[in-house]
Amino acid sequence: MKDLMADYYKQGAEAKEKGIPVAWVTAVFPVEIIYAAGLFPFYPENFGAVASARKMADKLSSFAEAKGYAHDLCAYARCGLGDAHSKEHPVGEIVKPDLLLCCNTQCGSLSKWFEVAARFYEAPYFLLDAPQIGMEADDLCKKYYTAQLKELIAFLESFTGKKFDYDRLREVMAHANEACRLWNAILETAALKPAPFGFFDACFHMAPIVTWRGMPQAVNYYRTLQEELQNRIQNNVYAIKDERYKLYFDHIPLWPKLRWFSEICASHHALVAVSQYTHSWAYSFDLEHPLESLAENYTEEFVNRVFDYRIQRKMQLMERYNVDGFILFSNRSCKPNAFGLYDKKNIISSITGLPGVVFEADMSDLRFFSEAQVLARLESFFEQLESA
Amino acid sequence: MNNKEIIEIFKGAAARPDEQAEYWKKEQESKVIGFMLTDVPEELIHAAGFLPYAVNAEEGRLEFADAHLQTWACSFTRNCLASAVQGKLSFLDGIVIPQTCDTTRMLMGIWKHTNPLPFMENYRLPRQVDRPSAREYLRGELERLKKSLENFGGSEIKEAELAASISLYNSNRGLMRQLYAMHVENPQLLSGKELFLIIKAAMVMPREKVNSLLKQLLNHLKNKGVSHVKGNKIRLLISGTLLEPLELLDYIAEAGGVIVGDDFKNGSRYLECDVSEDKEPLEALVDRQVNRIPSALFDPKKGLRKTYLVDLARQKRANGVLFLHLKFCEPENYDYYDNMQAMEKYGIPAMRIETAYGGLPQGQLQTRIYAFMEMLGGGDAD
Ligand code: SF4
Ligand code: SF4
Repeated sequence: MKDLMADYYKQGAEAKEKGIPVAWVTAVFPVEIIYAAGLFPFYPENFGAVASARKMADKLSSFAEAKGYAHDLCAYARCGLGDAHSKEHPVGEIVKPDLLLCCNTQCGSLSKWFEVAARFYEAPYFLLDAPQIGMEADDLCKKYYTAQLKELIAFLESFTGKKFDYDRLREVMAHANEACRLWNAILETAALKPAPFGFFDACFHMAPIVTWRGMPQAVNYYRTLQEELQNRIQNNVYAIKDERYKLYFDHIPLWPKLRWFSEICASHHALVAVSQYTHSWAYSFDLEHPLESLAENYTEEFVNRVFDYRIQRKMQLMERYNVDGFILFSNRSCKPNAFGLYDKKNIISSITGLPGVVFEADMSDLRFFSEAQVLARLESFFEQLESA
Repeated sequence: MNNKEIIEIFKGAAARPDEQAEYWKKEQESKVIGFMLTDVPEELIHAAGFLPYAVNAEEGRLEFADAHLQTWACSFTRNCLASAVQGKLSFLDGIVIPQTCDTTRMLMGIWKHTNPLPFMENYRLPRQVDRPSAREYLRGELERLKKSLENFGGSEIKEAELAASISLYNSNRGLMRQLYAMHVENPQLLSGKELFLIIKAAMVMPREKVNSLLKQLLNHLKNKGVSHVKGNKIRLLISGTLLEPLELLDYIAEAGGVIVGDDFKNGSRYLECDVSEDKEPLEALVDRQVNRIPSALFDPKKGLRKTYLVDLARQKRANGVLFLHLKFCEPENYDYYDNMQAMEKYGIPAMRIETAYGGLPQGQLQTRIYAFMEMLGGGDAD
């Protein structure tokens, strides 16, 4: 995995050298189009996550804060903006964009950050705008998104000077289908009891499905991983020792405290088995109708859905993985996923009878993390779990 | 009524907006539909026969929202939700929440579960306006909202009714812009705080009544006839998302400032951009939305916000720009650095102060405003 990502970043640098345009993209952007257009997609969110895992988010953020950006903006954005405004690059310099492509299903923080970055790097910017969808699929939004995909393709054609190749798009989408299928089959192994694989493993292995979806590399990567998991199952190798409980977790992990967090859970024999976060990439494209199908898959995901849909989604996953409790992370960086969690916890507990807890911190920035407070919350949750 | 009395009516309505709604319900036997700022096409609500009512700073106690919304949400949404939780909005028959940021995008679900209302809709405005897809989508979204209002009201909104509402709102905006100009020319007659209180009141009163009061008020003020600013005034452009608390306008006046322009949602963004009366009404509403003045929502390519602010400052001959930013408002904060750079580049003195609904020690606010005004050379108080 380390090698794979190192390879990916190397490719970024090489793309620059070879004159392949680097397109900044967001995690839930139809990257299939970018690969089909022959551009190199770079994920600044991933840069933020890597910086956070290396406990460098606070430092990068301080460079952005010195320019007047508030410390309550999404930390990924602060990492990116901090890197832009500083000569120090504690996690290596971000790959600069030749163009920026953003989809705002996930959040509006990304589109503001990309706007700012587009001004900073003086590169063209395109927003794929996705209005929020309610409980039912929404024709108006689907049409809007599809129309914008056409506008995007025209934008890329004029940028690259090349005609867009729809056959290549279908090829890329077929790879993406296979990678998504494999990825979700891998995630499913966490439902076994005991399980060879859990959420923290998923976080570790997630990068290719985000960044390399649509390329054969992702397919190969997950084939190998799947085989490895089969071996683990045959040899009785499990994710944690003596698994007694399964948990649901929302949403992004606490990057700089990932190990700390996973050890606490493991010490209570609880496997964090599932999260909507890692399940975000479950696309299944219809190659006969590529654009409509991209529109459907990308806009109808939970990230673009209302409160009630998100509750339903969480409960479905809880049921499918047969969990005994749930932990919800009120992540200061991520307003769209944090706002509403207090009520969601109460609603889910009252419907399912499962114990749950909400804790406060920031996915990247340790200034908003109080170990004692989080620990106290978790301990009382585990007491509840163990006495249930 | 003299001008003081009219201003008092507006002040009363701004202080007790709920009374306006209650009165309307009794008088008209009709419903009140709340809306949050900004950009909600009130004309549609009005044409459906309801009173459009701006939910904005009901003097709620923020902590009432804490069980539902994190304390690091902006104080505007916390304030709105807190008012609902406290039962201070119990007269509302419905609400329309515009999706302008991640917070407003998530608010509806929380509101629905804590304080369900018979009519609850999002206004999902597009976040880009430069491409043809935006117009087409927006048309569909407005049709959706219209239909939803019709279902709730039990009758169709006729084209002529919508046209009449558009015309009423246009004249409302026009009158308020005249009032604004009056303040700039003559802050001694109408203070900045009075101006913004009138805007606030106008958002919760029946607009027919507002218009008739505004006409009278404008007549009075014109008759007073003084048309030049007394003393040396600092001409100030203020910029931000929502202007609150309005007391800060008093501090500006005390330090010899006059507000010559702004881009707040409860200020000029509300007053600018009329809807064409020569077009089919829904198309005209689409036009208005795509042509609104820039804000922190997103950057339209045809006019960046920083450029707009620089131009506005020059056009209004502002001596300085005061950014009044609501703490925890992400969109606004993302724009700050670029806006500030633009001001520096064009030699326009500028400063930022963070504000909050219901919060912030007033003394501190006052000191900072005085300091900025001092830096601009100081002016004469009224
Ligand atoms: S962490 Fe949340 S706010 Fe930040 S980029 Fe991701 S979805 Fe957006
Ligand atoms: S003030 Fe800012 S954060 Fe709050 S609702 Fe408005 S745009 Fe969103």
